[in-house]
Amino acid sequence: MFFIVCALTAEARPLISALSLRRDDNACPYETYFAEDCSCVLCISGMGPVAASSATTYLLTRFGTKNETDFLINFGSCAGKDPGLHLIHKITDSTTGRDFYPDMLYDLSSCGLPSSSEKALVTVSKVVASLEDPNLLYEMEASGIFQAASRFLPPHRMLFLKYVSDQGVDDPKKITSAMLQEGAEKQTSTVLSVMKKLEEACKEEPSVDEDLFLSTALSLRLSETMRYELHQLFEYALTENIDIRPILDDFENQGRLPAGTKKEGKAVLYELRQKLI
Amino acid sequence: MSSDKSLYNFPFSHIYVEERAKEHPLTKEILTRYKKSQVIPIRHHKDVFNRPRQSFLLQKGAPSLILARNPGASVFRGAPVCQDFGYDHFYYCSTARNCIFDCEYCFLRGMYGSGNVVIFVDLENTFSEVEALLKEHPVYLCVSYDTDLLALENLTGSVARWIEFTREHEDLTIEIRTKSFRKDIFEKIPPCDRVIFAYTLSPQEIIDRYEKRTSSLSDRLSAASFAMEKGFPVRLCFDPLIYCKNWKDIYSSMFSEAQKYIDFHQLKDVSVGSFRISSEYIRKIRKDFPGSSICQFPYENHGGVMEYPENIKNEMENTVVTLLQTLISKEKIYRIDLEENI
Repeated sequence: MFFIVCALTAEARPLISALSLRRDDNACPYETYFAEDCSCVLCISGMGPVAASSATTYLLTRFGTKNETDFLINFGSCAGKDPGLHLIHKITDSTTGRDFYPDMLYDLSSCGLPSSSEKALVTVSKVVASLEDPNLLYEMEASGIFQAASRFLPPHRMLFLKYVSDQGVDDPKKITSAMLQEGAEKQTSTVLSVMKKLEEACKEEPSVDEDLFLSTALSLRLSETMRYELHQLFEYALTENIDIRPILDDFENQGRLPAGTKKEGKAVLYELRQKLI
Repeated sequence: MSSDKSLYNFPFSHIYVEERAKEHPLTKEILTRYKKSQVIPIRHHKDVFNRPRQSFLLQKGAPSLILARNPGASVFRGAPVCQDFGYDHFYYCSTARNCIFDCEYCFLRGMYGSGNVVIFVDLENTFSEVEALLKEHPVYLCVSYDTDLLALENLTGSVARWIEFTREHEDLTIEIRTKSFRKDIFEKIPPCDRVIFAYTLSPQEIIDRYEKRTSSLSDRLSAASFAMEKGFPVRLCFDPLIYCKNWKDIYSSMFSEAQKYIDFHQLKDVSVGSFRISSEYIRKIRKDFPGSSICQFPYENHGGVMEYPENIKNEMENTVVTLLQTLISKEKIYRIDLEENI
């Protein structure tokens, strides 16, 4: 599932449209949109790191996360010298001076984000009038989003995509909604392409049949420690591509599963282990 | 995790450089070799290396490089689970963390939260630490425990520097443990009888399955043989012995192969030990690598160390020791004894 956080509706509108997201009509503290198939949910946080942090926490708490299959994307505008869309590899919070690093594992050059598009970014608390360091990007949400999302997601499941809307302005009113939406529209296809590529990285691994494990553990009358041992045997069998069911069926046919006593269960556990290794 | 390599960045596509390491000559030299990489300034290597919830597994596929200065002590007393080879003052040092190889059973997976590679560029400070120890007593130092230094030699040149340093300090003996195939270093640098090159050997089937990106058995043997030819003491480490159903066959083939390359009587010594790892590390590794059979094997916990069941462990070690006794004198065979070490 993709969790997308945008500060402003104008930045989000082209994505909402391209992804055919529906507005959540329930009373929500933040304007929220979701895909019918639950593959994506988008939230409008409002401006500033505190609003962004709260909205991220709301989003990830309400919809829940699974480390292996979820991505958080922060998409929005920023001030900078070089136009276009940038992938962020370092976020500095100007208030605290702390730095944050999303993991840069994925090669997104085929999506239109070559490594030369990468930049470091500074999160500030108000719109900048000029670029203190022309090599950096300036915006108002990323550090809050990173810090909040870090409680839920690992650093390789967070992506910060920022497009340059200006080079700093003395009056924030000079940055209009129309300008921001137009800027976002230009980058929508790249964002969609990135999402498609990242989906490939979200394949779920096979896991232990927990129902079979639980019923076996109960049938064997196992203690907590022995349950842990049994689970480890299930894990091992999975990695070695050993189908554990026929082995359990054999015990059943022998009348040893379910076990009559704890001692009998322990003996079956020992034998199962011998059969697997 | 997707196995599609095109999804991931190339190794060291991102190089994080600590502020206080950026002017070091080795940093500058390394950066000239990676012109296509993104260089990201950082305050402290821990800001990147110690981030919570990193994926060691994914990072191994696209590792970043972190160049830093060693923040404190870099020389430590050897751990009980490691073989001391009869030396009284057994130490190891950490001048790099993680390596370019990807062994599924590596204890570093349990020790570190990151699969990225850290190189501490200030080797001269480690040398000072070793010199301070040498004033107290002779030192036996393993310099390639937290990494494979020889595999990183192109980048760091530190093996050559360690050899020269050891030559100048007669109470120092070092071990350089490796799975690398490279031989050029033995041609470039005159031998020193206190620099032991220790090759970890495994059957090719184990290498193929569990020791990704390492060199083949024959390449390791060829490199070991070349080192001996050039006058360096060589140690063969049959440690860790890895269990699988046909272990007898594949280890027997490995010894046949080894004898083609190595005159065992000329070896400095050999070590034997079955796979073992701290229970704390295996807990983390099992969580991070659910699909790895070597991690998920139902080991037994012996005093905080996870080992194969006693019968498997003894049979494997005894078989290998018996075989080695036909090739090399008993005194040169070192078998790990955890109870004695702990």
